[in-house]
Amino acid sequence: MMQMMNTLFLMFAKLSAFSFGGGYVMIPIMLRELESNRLLDPAKVTDIVAIAGMSPGSVAVNAAVGLGYYVSKINGMGAWGVLPAFLGIALPCATIVIVVASFFFKIYKHPRVQSALYGLRPAIAGIVLYAAVKLAKSGGMLLSGADTVIPSGWNISYRLHHIIELKSLAVFAVAFLLLMKTKLHPIFLIITSGVVGIFLFGF
Amino acid sequence: MEKFFEIFLTFFKLGTFSFGGGYAMIPLIEREVCRNKKWIDKEDLYDVFAVSEALPGAIALNASTFVGYRVAGIPGAVAALLGNLLPSVLIVWVLVAAFLQVKDNAYVQNAMNGIRPAIIALITFAAYKIGKSGIKDRITPFIFVGAFAACYFFHLPPMPVIICAALTGLAVGAVKAHKAHKSGGEQK
Repeated sequence: MMQMMNTLFLMFAKLSAFSFGGGYVMIPIMLRELESNRLLDPAKVTDIVAIAGMSPGSVAVNAAVGLGYYVSKINGMGAWGVLPAFLGIALPCATIVIVVASFFFKIYKHPRVQSALYGLRPAIAGIVLYAAVKLAKSGGMLLSGADTVIPSGWNISYRLHHIIELKSLAVFAVAFLLLMKTKLHPIFLIITSGVVGIFLFGF
Repeated sequence: MEKFFEIFLTFFKLGTFSFGGGYAMIPLIEREVCRNKKWIDKEDLYDVFAVSEALPGAIALNASTFVGYRVAGIPGAVAALLGNLLPSVLIVWVLVAAFLQVKDNAYVQNAMNGIRPAIIALITFAAYKIGKSGIKDRITPFIFVGAFAACYFFHLPPMPVIICAALTGLAVGAVKAHKAHKSGGEQK
């Protein structure tokens, strides 16, 4: 149990100390860490991220707490995983803001810092897009394996290779368009898509 | 000590009622911290958010801790951090526990089938927004594609990709500065 707590704490501390951008941008790193530590498969991560997105507060913090709890619960450790998730997020944040921020405020406009950010932003866009593709694959939307295919979906295959599931694609397309064209709050999007899912996949 | 509790309570309230995290919190923080409490002024708050974005970790959490720090030093930072974190922790804990109870229900599974593509749309949209602010010349599209390919085809973890991208940015910046220096600083 101590080992699991340690793994979780280190994972979230690393996440909090090295991931730039916050929110959904932290998801790819979380995904990778959980997978390489063999703690949780990516399909489950999407569900916890959904709950994190519906809860108040920071999405990244919510996802960390939710995943910490989920991992400890399914491993028979009760709710103890909340503690390392909480500390793993809080401690680096406190340290960085108190120690780094006081002088970072002065060097923020420095050309070197701006150059580093120039390289960081497009790379982070690429990494986040990768996380979206990865979650689409594990959720049965795109190029799925036999174990992840949604049975009630409209699945398109080519020579026994799954290509895409059309119902999910429709929800994705409408959701993405709404996000682009309107200022719709993510929480309404999540709740509405849940209701749509009940009808779309239930009948 | 009184200040400590005041900061804690303010951020506890902000943490409980702000949905969406990060930038979604700006208007709420502005109303509470700038207008009601008059702890810092608006321009300072925008600077705080700009720096919070450039620092690692959750943006809203960084910004809250930063505001707490500016108002009352280290105790203020701790008060703001705890105030912001606690509501999330409690609410998510309860919701995930509830989800575990009902996750095998057919309706819940169908609802989750609808929610998953919406979450993927939210993540794709986050990528789109960062891409829009970061992909702006002839070099940055290559960094974008390179980072995606490194993760997808070569299975590299995000961390080394991020470090390489920052180094690439520094190198490009150095080359640009060198060129500008050569041409007598006339060109940008």
